[in-house]
Amino acid sequence: MRKAVGIGGLRRREAERLALSRKGSELARREIEKLQEQVTTMKAKLEAFVREHQRDIRNNPAFRVQVQRMCQLIGVDPLASRKGYMAELLGVGDFYCELGIQIIDICVATRPVNGGLIDIDDLQQRLMQRRLRGSEPVVADDIKRAISQLGPLKGGYLIVEFGGRTMIQSVAREMNADTTTVLGLAHQTCRFSVDDVHAALAWDDYRIRACVDDMIRSGIVWVDAQTAGMPDYYVPSFYSAASKRN
Amino acid sequence: MATGGGAGARFQLPEIHSFPPFFTRQPNEDTWKEQRRLWCDLVVAFCRHHRRSALAVAEAVNEPPFSNPRIRRALRVDTLREVVDELVSQGHAAWTGPKGSARDTCLVFWRKPEVWAAMLHQWAADRGLCNTVLTLYELANGDDTADQEFHGLDYATLRRSLEALQSQGRAQLFAGSSDEDLGVKIFT
Repeated sequence: MRKAVGIGGLRRREAERLALSRKGSELARREIEKLQEQVTTMKAKLEAFVREHQRDIRNNPAFRVQVQRMCQLIGVDPLASRKGYMAELLGVGDFYCELGIQIIDICVATRPVNGGLIDIDDLQQRLMQRRLRGSEPVVADDIKRAISQLGPLKGGYLIVEFGGRTMIQSVAREMNADTTTVLGLAHQTCRFSVDDVHAALAWDDYRIRACVDDMIRSGIVWVDAQTAGMPDYYVPSFYSAASKRN
Repeated sequence: MATGGGAGARFQLPEIHSFPPFFTRQPNEDTWKEQRRLWCDLVVAFCRHHRRSALAVAEAVNEPPFSNPRIRRALRVDTLREVVDELVSQGHAAWTGPKGSARDTCLVFWRKPEVWAAMLHQWAADRGLCNTVLTLYELANGDDTADQEFHGLDYATLRRSLEALQSQGRAQLFAGSSDEDLGVKIFT
């Protein structure tokens, strides 16, 4: 095109720019429409899939986890609203709600013994014991989701992860890094002594004792003073989970 | 506390009985309260199972359930005293022995004396034995009571139950030369 000069040129450039931007918007709009169509189709396909496999989703935790990941990728949150269509389709709205209530019950019941800190395996075992025979099995992932869905009841419920292990804290407290580290140490054996901590972490006595005192004050360890040597400190939830495993 | 005349089935110890710290008096007061509660439940259930009531603290800590030889742990005497004190405050035990003496011996009421009192009164009324004098021996060991739950009950608990009935105005006790001879008239 011949380079435009002067007012006429300006006007022409203006007209071109307008035409181009309209074209651009039109293109963009067409793309967006196409995208929307695709999303709608995908959602419909997902819905059909979920409907068809509803029973499997409820009964097979591994499968359920996969389906939920898929939903998340597409940007559909089945639990966003209990009345949401996906929650109803998956039939899981009630599942997580019931599970959440059972989790709270168990945490409250075990709090006097474990100080409001429960190992996720211990919690899972107790849930399975408590749920009626024939009801859906429950895995760690379900527990985490149920807790995240507690909504207004959630206050104080915190998932604590350390070294690949997971605990649920149901009492609002400041859990410092030293406590978490020592808990990580104790996870296999269910207990630890001052010597164990010193041997594993080379902390000085003062620091170890401060940590132990803190844990005792929080009610998350019990003392065994009848050992041959120094006292042992037990994490009751670890012990509970381990004894059920054996 | 040796087993004695109890049910045939073995007593089921709770899971926490294998938890070594269960035998150490916990320094955290809230934890201790829960520990004490669990011990109280255990003591009452154990006594109910074996139908035993008398407990001598110093000896008891050497035997189940206060000692668990499998994990080599045992409750200390002063801790057991704290447990019994709690049972006393719940009406599930009474310290025996002379007044002002150290807390060495006690009675565990795996069923409260007031409940036994009601059962005794019911039995007397049903058998038309009100207003007749009965001895403790007859109540505990007589043929007439063979089918009753209080049959075979130890004299100390039986006596306390009758005392409870008396303080309700529903019976009158007559001292005998020994516990066995103790007489009671149960009113209608």
